Amino acid sequence: MADHERSTVLEIQNLTKRFGRMTAVDNVSFLLENGKLMTFVGPSGCGKTTLLRMISGLTEPTEGQIVLDGEDITFLRANARDTAMVFQNYALFPHMTVSQNIGFGLQIRKKPKDEVKSEVERLLELVQLQGLGDRKTQQLSGGQQQRVALARALSLHPKILLLDEPLSNLDANLRVMMREEIRKLQEQLHLSIIFVTHDQEEAMSISDILVVMNNGIVKQIGSPTEIYERPIDEFVANFVGYINFFAGTVYSLSGDEMIFRTEHGDLAIQQPPMQVSPGDRLKAVIRPESIGIARPGHQTDAGKNVIEGCVVSNMYIGAIIRYTIAVGDQMVYSLNSLPWIFLPKLCLLL
Amino acid sequence: MQHSDRYFTKIVDDTRQFFRSPGLVAVTTTAAILIFLFIVFPIGSVLQKSLTVSYPTVSIHYRHNIATPGDLEKKLIQPVMAVLSSVPGLVKSNVVRKDPQTVLILLRFEKFWDDLKGLNDAKRAIRPIQATIEPLIEEVKYKLSKERIYSTETYKDFFANSYYWHSLRNSIILAVVSTTIITVIAFCLAYVGLRGPRGARGPLRMIGLLPLVAPPFIFSLSLILLGGRSGIITKLFDLDFNLYGWPGVIIAQVITFLPLGYLMIENILRSLGTNMEDAATDMGATDYDILFKITIPLSFPGILKAALLVFLLSIADFGNPMLISGNVHFLATDAYLYWVGENNLEMAAVFCVFLIVPSMLMFIIHEFILKGKSYTTIGGKPQQGEERSIPSKILYPMLAVVIPVSMVIIACFGMIFLGAFTKILMINNAFTLEHFNSPNGIRALITSLKFALGAACIAPLFGVTLSYILIRKRIPFKRVLEFLSLLGFAVPGTVMGVGYILAFNTPPIKLTGTFLIMIINEAFRNLSVSLEAGSSKLHQIDVAIEEAAFDMGASAMKTFFKIVLPLISSALLAGFIYTFMVGMIAVSAVIFLISPGNDLAALYILAVAEQGMLGMACAISIMLIAVVLLCLGALKLVARYTRTEVY
Ligand SMILES: Nc1ncnc2c1ncn2[C@@H]1O[C@H](COP(=O)(O)OP(=O)(O)OP(=O)(O)O)[C@@H](O)[C@H]1O
Ligand SMILES: [Mg+2]
Repeated sequence: MADHERSTVLEIQNLTKRFGRMTAVDNVSFLLENGKLMTFVGPSGCGKTTLLRMISGLTEPTEGQIVLDGEDITFLRANARDTAMVFQNYALFPHMTVSQNIGFGLQIRKKPKDEVKSEVERLLELVQLQGLGDRKTQQLSGGQQQRVALARALSLHPKILLLDEPLSNLDANLRVMMREEIRKLQEQLHLSIIFVTHDQEEAMSISDILVVMNNGIVKQIGSPTEIYERPIDEFVANFVGYINFFAGTVYSLSGDEMIFRTEHGDLAIQQPPMQVSPGDRLKAVIRPESIGIARPGHQTDAGKNVIEGCVVSNMYIGAIIRYTIAVGDQMVYSLNSLPWIFLPKLCLLL
Repeated sequence: MQHSDRYFTKIVDDTRQFFRSPGLVAVTTTAAILIFLFIVFPIGSVLQKSLTVSYPTVSIHYRHNIATPGDLEKKLIQPVMAVLSSVPGLVKSNVVRKDPQTVLILLRFEKFWDDLKGLNDAKRAIRPIQATIEPLIEEVKYKLSKERIYSTETYKDFFANSYYWHSLRNSIILAVVSTTIITVIAFCLAYVGLRGPRGARGPLRMIGLLPLVAPPFIFSLSLILLGGRSGIITKLFDLDFNLYGWPGVIIAQVITFLPLGYLMIENILRSLGTNMEDAATDMGATDYDILFKITIPLSFPGILKAALLVFLLSIADFGNPMLISGNVHFLATDAYLYWVGENNLEMAAVFCVFLIVPSMLMFIIHEFILKGKSYTTIGGKPQQGEERSIPSKILYPMLAVVIPVSMVIIACFGMIFLGAFTKILMINNAFTLEHFNSPNGIRALITSLKFALGAACIAPLFGVTLSYILIRKRIPFKRVLEFLSLLGFAVPGTVMGVGYILAFNTPPIKLTGTFLIMIINEAFRNLSVSLEAGSSKLHQIDVAIEEAAFDMGASAMKTFFKIVLPLISSALLAGFIYTFMVGMIAVSAVIFLISPGNDLAALYILAVAEQGMLGMACAISIMLIAVVLLCLGALKLVARYTRTEVY
């Protein structure tokens, strides 16, 4: 079995969608490997839904090609595609029971009644909704409706499962639980999934591959670690939680490191993923939790990359403290769980 | 430039998408053909007819050997016209060139003069000079209403004679007056009904809606009983005055169309909420200030919309003018008289055109200028604020309007009962049930039932399907299709009646005289309500639900039948109920299409009343109302049983 399976389930080539003069998705290409969970992530209106709908067949691409499991499906209509979509607000059929909803696809395909029934039972069990088959969909909680939508989408054994912000209608705790469940299900059934979200934390925690989008353009594709450690530009960096930027020029390169000259002093940092040469103007980013704080004159751990600043405010976030520090005329943020507290107005070293 | 460019690409894009799904193409094409055939074509036929004349004609084919037009005039036309002038009864003769070889002489005889006899007279008159003109002509033909030519003759006639254009003037005056009165009363009724003394609210609402169940001319009937030549009040006080003419028509129309105005304005006031008025009070506005500077201006666009609809109904009204107009003439009824009484089809068509013009104007203002123009959405949802009660200096003037109107409405209903159960009101006041013993009336009731059910089966199905493709699908020239489908409602029933006869009187589609054409006419005239019901329901349903079904492998057709139709069944039911109710009391269009043996109850009542058998008219009216209420009750039960919500 496994030998016959292709390693690539979905191939998108130069996909573009225009609405009038507005380009919603601009020349997007990527591959999705079988059994992987890919996430489209980006700010509202960046074209995630449009891209997903083109894959499902509900929206017709203006240009480009979609290949599913070796077959060109660009012009196949949604009802003939081996994809299944879970909609943001679930789109359950309100005039049908839970079982009828889940069995709809099978029934449309004229499967025998008892086969539909046993399959629906199996799916109900899979999404832990045993015994709720005869309920009306309106009588379910948000999380339960979500599971019904999931089971309905899984009923046809789609080659790829498409989820459009499936968790955005749930409250925060349930959201974390559901996403872990989806991940478990995906690993258990070896599903290929595309998951749309605009929550970077959700994207980071659930996916094998991230596709970061902005304004219809794919900014970066990679594993969560890659994207987190090597964001390709300011937008991606900002999006994955970097908020401290230092503008400056490359001063010198040596091995893996380079010396980066900013107005606050020189920094020795890792070389970026792209080619750079001395004299290039760049922006360096640093995560708040990577910024340590010490009193002036104290020895710091690292012993290098020290900048002087002044604490403007502090704020507790759970067990950690978020400091806002003025460095020159720039604000820098730091997350620290230090045993002692720096009060505002206290000048210190970074 | 940019804009039109984009519009063009959108049409191209829509068209391309459209032709990719053959099912959609088939359904849409069918719908478009039906709309064209049963709405556009009849209206077009009326327009065409109004621009043609078909008089008895003498047509003369002359030979090539006539050199100049002067020659033709001197040697042929003048002598012929000279002899024709002696024909008795001839009012006018017109010379028209048809083609280079033919002159047509249109003869116009006095009213009621026999055209055939006139034509024979003309033949006889020409015979003596036949020999002298013989060398010039090839043949002379005498035709009775055969030759049809385009001409604005009928329009000129219309404006030349006061008894024609006075109808237009009267109809417009009537519509303006009725609409104004109705708007004022409906506003007061709605205002007091919503915020007046608690005990009065329910009854006022009841009274406001009561006229809805009655046939549209029933109030004329009771007004005649009340204040006609031998009405109760006229007799009791020995008055010289009676209600026939302007007062009767206006009162009858006001009562008849009050429910519509009331419903719409009440809706507006309700959704307006009270928070803006509260804010005004807070800033020190007096009660008058609030009413005239806040409430009325805020609800004005909505009120204007209601007024336009009332105007449409008033100008199209048929039954009331028919019964109580006395010797005042109105467009809708006169069109019928010219059609049926004098067989003057062209003039009837011209009357129809003058019915179309104001109606279309109002309709276009309503659909395109006022659409979406309403302040009620600004305040968001109606907020449940502290209840406002009306201060007495506003309440009392309003009550002075509301109370008399309510009393007249109740009196009218009372009169119907009184009339139905007495032998001859005011002459022999003995109790009797004999008026109910009317086999023809009961037969007509049964026919009405079939008729209304037939129309109520077609209109919602077609209307709701149409609303689905209009709202959910990408169709080129969507707006055009929508506009045309609403025309059936906007154009007065009289026009649709005349149009149907003109359109379907000749092969290939000869339908006149059948029961079917009556049903089709009624269904297509009432398409808009089902269309609206379907649209508003569809707007409430998330598109994703249909997409989900489609994504699960259901075809477009399966999606429609398995998902959409069950979800909008309430719209179907609402359309059904409305079409049924309207069908039971239909008058204006079907009166043209009625065929022997297919008499409808409302028409029968009208005919009986016109013959002075008011008691029987009342009795059948009561039976008609009872049947309508019974059917509505049954439908409500069905709806509750199947848990379908009705609006
Ligand atoms: N049917 C349409 N017609 C015109 N423009 C559209 C249509 N659908 C989407 N757009 C536009 O395309 C752009 C991308 O929309 P899309 O729904 O894909 O964004 P998104 O990334 O899913 O946003 P969100 O996170 O808010 O769901 C938006 O600017 C949107 O206005
Ligand atoms: Mg989206």
